[in-house]
Amino acid sequence: MSTTDIPLKPSRRRVWRTTCARVTLHVTACVLSVLIILPFIWMVLTSLKTLAEVDAPAWMPAVFQWRNYVDVFHVIPFARFYANSLIVAGWATLLQVMTSAMAAFSFSRIQWPGRDKIFMAYLATMMLPGLVMVVPNYQIMIELRLVDSLIGLVLPGAFSAFGTFLLRQFMLSIPTTIDEAAEIDGASRWRIFWDIILPLSRPGLIVLTIFCFIGTYNSFFWPLVMLRSTENFTLPVGLLFFDSQHGSATHQLMAAVTMSVIPAIFLFIFLQKHLVRGIQLGGVKG
Amino acid sequence: MSNLPLQRRRQRRNFIHGIGFLAPNLLGFLAFTLIPLLLSLFMAFSNWDLRLHNIFVREPLRFVGLDQFRTLLEQKDFWKFLGNTLFLMMGIPLTIIGSLMAAILLSQDFRVASGRRLIYLIAGVLLIGSTVILALAGAGATGMVLLMSGVVCLVLIGGMAAGSTVYRTLFYVPHFTAGVAVFLLWKKLYSPQGGPVNNFLAPILDGLAGFVRVLPAHSDMAMLIASRVLMLGLLLLGLNVARKQWTQGDWGTIPIVLGLILLGLPVWYTPRWGAVPAIDQFFPLAAGVVLLVQIVLALRVTRMPCPLDEGMGNALVLSALLMTLQFALLGLGNVGFHLPQMAADGLEPPKWLNEYHWAKPAIMIMSIWASIGSNNMLLYLAGLSNVPVELQEAADIDGATRFQRFWHVTWPQLAPVTFFIVIMSVMGGLQGGFEMARAMTAGGPAGATTTLSYFVYTEAFENGRMGYASAIAWVLFAMVFLITLFNWKFGSRYVND
Repeated sequence: MSTTDIPLKPSRRRVWRTTCARVTLHVTACVLSVLIILPFIWMVLTSLKTLAEVDAPAWMPAVFQWRNYVDVFHVIPFARFYANSLIVAGWATLLQVMTSAMAAFSFSRIQWPGRDKIFMAYLATMMLPGLVMVVPNYQIMIELRLVDSLIGLVLPGAFSAFGTFLLRQFMLSIPTTIDEAAEIDGASRWRIFWDIILPLSRPGLIVLTIFCFIGTYNSFFWPLVMLRSTENFTLPVGLLFFDSQHGSATHQLMAAVTMSVIPAIFLFIFLQKHLVRGIQLGGVKG
Repeated sequence: MSNLPLQRRRQRRNFIHGIGFLAPNLLGFLAFTLIPLLLSLFMAFSNWDLRLHNIFVREPLRFVGLDQFRTLLEQKDFWKFLGNTLFLMMGIPLTIIGSLMAAILLSQDFRVASGRRLIYLIAGVLLIGSTVILALAGAGATGMVLLMSGVVCLVLIGGMAAGSTVYRTLFYVPHFTAGVAVFLLWKKLYSPQGGPVNNFLAPILDGLAGFVRVLPAHSDMAMLIASRVLMLGLLLLGLNVARKQWTQGDWGTIPIVLGLILLGLPVWYTPRWGAVPAIDQFFPLAAGVVLLVQIVLALRVTRMPCPLDEGMGNALVLSALLMTLQFALLGLGNVGFHLPQMAADGLEPPKWLNEYHWAKPAIMIMSIWASIGSNNMLLYLAGLSNVPVELQEAADIDGATRFQRFWHVTWPQLAPVTFFIVIMSVMGGLQGGFEMARAMTAGGPAGATTTLSYFVYTEAFENGRMGYASAIAWVLFAMVFLITLFNWKFGSRYVND
């Protein structure tokens, strides 16, 4: 704070030079970021145009047509699609996090014969291409009479080898002395799991929740295969339906696209700290 | 009471608890992973077909052995779709380089200042921003200028106040939102009439056409030959590096052979895809001469010093990159050859997704956009922060330039991350392409964007040939499995280094 003559204090010119270098850095990064999000800017602006303006070279609409956003809900059952997507993603996430956490607890904190063999089997299935499973799973869904139902979308998403693996890695880093102490104090296994281990593995749970939610929210192949009737469509399938029915209405399509992209962007902005850590944790070691 | 029954009871309790906690997951695992896996294997060897087994037709379900696989391998389309998949995967090296560069940029020290100086800087940004707006708006510009300058200023101020997090978020947004919504957005961006991409390209192409028209005659041939010479140069570069690394004992024989195969692909395809077969037939000949010289040079060294599989990652990354560049030059040479002819009556921007030869590059450009700021970038950021500062400083003291410091210190330290990213991208690439094909092109035009995953979809869910689709899926699985084996063999060593 004080301006006494400390010899190591950088000279004024030096400070200036670093500041200039940093500002250049900022300008470069800023220009690149804006270039990267340019398609999104076009998307929002086009969603506010009239149909006649869509093909014009100017990006800016003459008057912002906010009613395009309202119209989307009249042209297709967009609210229904939204609700379906949130229901499916919500349930799948809840169930997957729960089953994965329980399995990870079993794999990491209980010693039982055969445990490691079963875990290896889990690991091995992680490299199976999802494509191999889609065809027979569809056949199974036909037998279960779950084709064209939201339950059929939730069920396969409720179990995940990847989630089990991720949470196991987290739980392994919690010292076992904690369980032992709790056991001596007379806590049951379920209490150890629910009251001790789960709260301690919160970062892992958050990461898995985001991964699973956004994965289900964006998922396309399985819903496309499974869903028949319009009222069951999720957002991606619904958008495709919109494109095939009213594809020339670019302005409304872009309004629908904007509305389906925005929740994901906000989710990411608010949760990115956890997400970044999770990806780096699961990636380099896995 | 002895200790033994107690211990046994404890063991049994552990077993019951262990299974109990696992049970919900295990049930799902059996129902949606293990049973489907076996069912899929059975389907691949049977004549399972929804058109043969339904309430109208009751053809018996038969075991047909390897018939499905034989049909598949004999079908020309399968090879074409495999080719499409591999073609789209050529974007991977570019993506990885883009991710690495983004990570290097974002790992710089972004702290500008704090307190008073920050306020000065923000005030400066606002001042410059409003001056720009005033200057341009004074010249009769639109709200667009206003908007763009506003966005740029906002991002800049955010970056200065909050550091690189803001930029990292913006870089990552395309990957996070990637899905049908973004693919539909790009379909509109690419639209041939009135799409912003072509609106942007049209004036540039007009300028180019004017330039080409004043070029002297025979410049078409010159451009073609120049591109082929450059391709040869890249080949020479790759072979030279490979030879040096081999004789110095840094790369083993296996990576060299794999690298040669990759480098050889453009040589193989030039006479087939080249614009002037008469000239392009000589290309493999010239390449052969280059190879021969390199082999002779390599044989003069008698030392055969290193393990067969050393240096796998670097060799593959380098040769994949050179291969991509060679293919790009091949295409550019072809375009260059036809350019004067096309420029005669004005250059038209490509029709992108509606044109056979442009559909795949269009999808590639979009994927590169979507995955530069992806998990790869985050992994590289983590990797860069793990490079020991002492190493950098030591190199600095030894007088290494920036590039030398990167090439000899940072890049080797990043090798495990790069290896992981390459493996994951290749596996993803083999299975990828379905969503883009379904949302943007329906696999067309004329099957140009049909990848293997889209092939599985059409066979299973449009044609109902479940057995056949399973066979394709298993062939794909075999390829992914090969990559996994490769990963097990070489990945662990990389991580331990």
